[in-house]
Amino acid sequence: MITGMERLAAAINGEKSDRIPVFCNLIDQGAKELGLPIKEYFSDGAHVAEAQIRMREKYGFDNVWSLFYVGREAELFGCDNVIYATDGPPNVGSFIIKNFREIENLPVPDNLTSHPVFEEQKKCLDMLKKEVGGRYPICAYITSSMSLPVMLMGMERWMELLFLGPADLRELLLEKCFTFFVREVEAYRQLGADVLVYSNPFGSTDTVPLTYFTDHSLPLIIKEMEAVGAQGMVYYCGMSRFNQVIDIIIEKTDFRAFYISPLDDLAGAKAIVAGRGLTCGVVNDIKLLEWSQDQIRSHVRQLIQDGMPGGRFLIGTGVMPYNIPETSIRSMLEAAYEFGQFD
Amino acid sequence: MLTELVNNYNEAIYDTDRAKAMQVVETALEKGATPEMVIFDLVVPAMQQMIKGISEDYDANLAQHFLTAQIAGEVTDAMLEKIESPPEPIGMIVIGTADGDIHSLGKRIVMGCLKANLVESIDLGVNVPPERFVDEASAAGASVIGISAMMVHTATGENGPRAVRRLLRERGLEEKIKLIVGGAPFRFSPDIAKSVGADAVADNGIAACRVVKNCLKKGRS
Repeated sequence: MITGMERLAAAINGEKSDRIPVFCNLIDQGAKELGLPIKEYFSDGAHVAEAQIRMREKYGFDNVWSLFYVGREAELFGCDNVIYATDGPPNVGSFIIKNFREIENLPVPDNLTSHPVFEEQKKCLDMLKKEVGGRYPICAYITSSMSLPVMLMGMERWMELLFLGPADLRELLLEKCFTFFVREVEAYRQLGADVLVYSNPFGSTDTVPLTYFTDHSLPLIIKEMEAVGAQGMVYYCGMSRFNQVIDIIIEKTDFRAFYISPLDDLAGAKAIVAGRGLTCGVVNDIKLLEWSQDQIRSHVRQLIQDGMPGGRFLIGTGVMPYNIPETSIRSMLEAAYEFGQFD
Repeated sequence: MLTELVNNYNEAIYDTDRAKAMQVVETALEKGATPEMVIFDLVVPAMQQMIKGISEDYDANLAQHFLTAQIAGEVTDAMLEKIESPPEPIGMIVIGTADGDIHSLGKRIVMGCLKANLVESIDLGVNVPPERFVDEASAAGASVIGISAMMVHTATGENGPRAVRRLLRERGLEEKIKLIVGGAPFRFSPDIAKSVGADAVADNGIAACRVVKNCLKKGRS
């Protein structure tokens, strides 16, 4: 039987398999799957790995995740206040940088694979690698240097520092975040992650003007890719739109996979990528909370019609909200499997 | 003169250049503009132009929203200090982020814009329990509660806007106090606003200003 890894490889190479790859990002749902409260679920990497494997088998999609929750990166920097919800992802409860001067003494965690906070992720990755490695792509989530400060000081304060604050501290924080980024990518690769979802809202023109992107975001993206290489990297802007920058990213970096915002024009994105990489059409999964089965099916069919012609296409989701009914998850996936078949 | 200044001011905002925007304000004052003119003929039109641009799919972005609001708030504060009898606020809103949510940027953008439009805001901060929204709005005589939520579960959960709606109903305050919501989940699925009981939804921080003013206008009429 064909594996998710084979489907992904075929899509990347512009070849046909049985159907397009389908990436379904069920993260918090793992707790539901194991019947555990969210806090208990995320306390043990074995829980996360087990749930990822079970959910992939149950629904038949093509990927598994090593992501616990996005705020985990802040915990690696020392954040010890996390808000746990009963029906959504854990969230940073207080920021470790409360005033700009604290940036000067902010330590950057060095050996991540032996870091106590990373221990559970390591456990999770080891299990995933043992159970599904080589057959199903193991995904990891990496926040870019320019977006990581949001985890450490909040978006409001980071915007303040970026546009109004002292330039020396801004540059120092970016340098520290760059150092962390490189270490994190190396750690995930060493532990067997195949797909690195590079999250950078500051790589989106929904967040910054195009001129700011070219003058400030792009040089940092280039520096990051020169340091770690773009192997396995997927360009993603936290569901924000970035069609305007795809061409320049392809021209200036080795990124060859793009996770298009559901608010952007998928057919337009595909035309811009123009066979130079993998275009990922993304389901507007927040709608799955309320849509009927027919609406879901119709949405998925439209995405596939827009993105599949010419190949090099994958369909995926954002971070699926916890309360999406299981029937709706199934409807979405069945539509993707049906309409995404090759002749 | 003012048309040129508005254009220069807008250009500075679009370039996310605060220093240049503040220089335009200084130039306006030097050329004889009164503080009232700076607020109502420069800052507010710039904001309206951005709102118009957004509604016509101009690619205004978060950084521009942030700077528009930041500079509008700063300039308004500075100009109001220069006015002997500052104008009365046209209304009052209490604003905060939903229970469990600490994403504060949207709230800050809304507050900066409202200030320039002479709407008084009471900032309840982040991670605000539903009871507090209603208690504070009631005590202050505010006509609008604004809730910002950036995560699906804080936007739709039992302690978010849905609970505020329930409390307004239980206390018989629905006619007096309107509920406005905003944040990423509502942008990706505007129908959520209706299902959590909001009277109105704002697509972004700058547009929220117009939504709040409309609610205040309806309340008065």
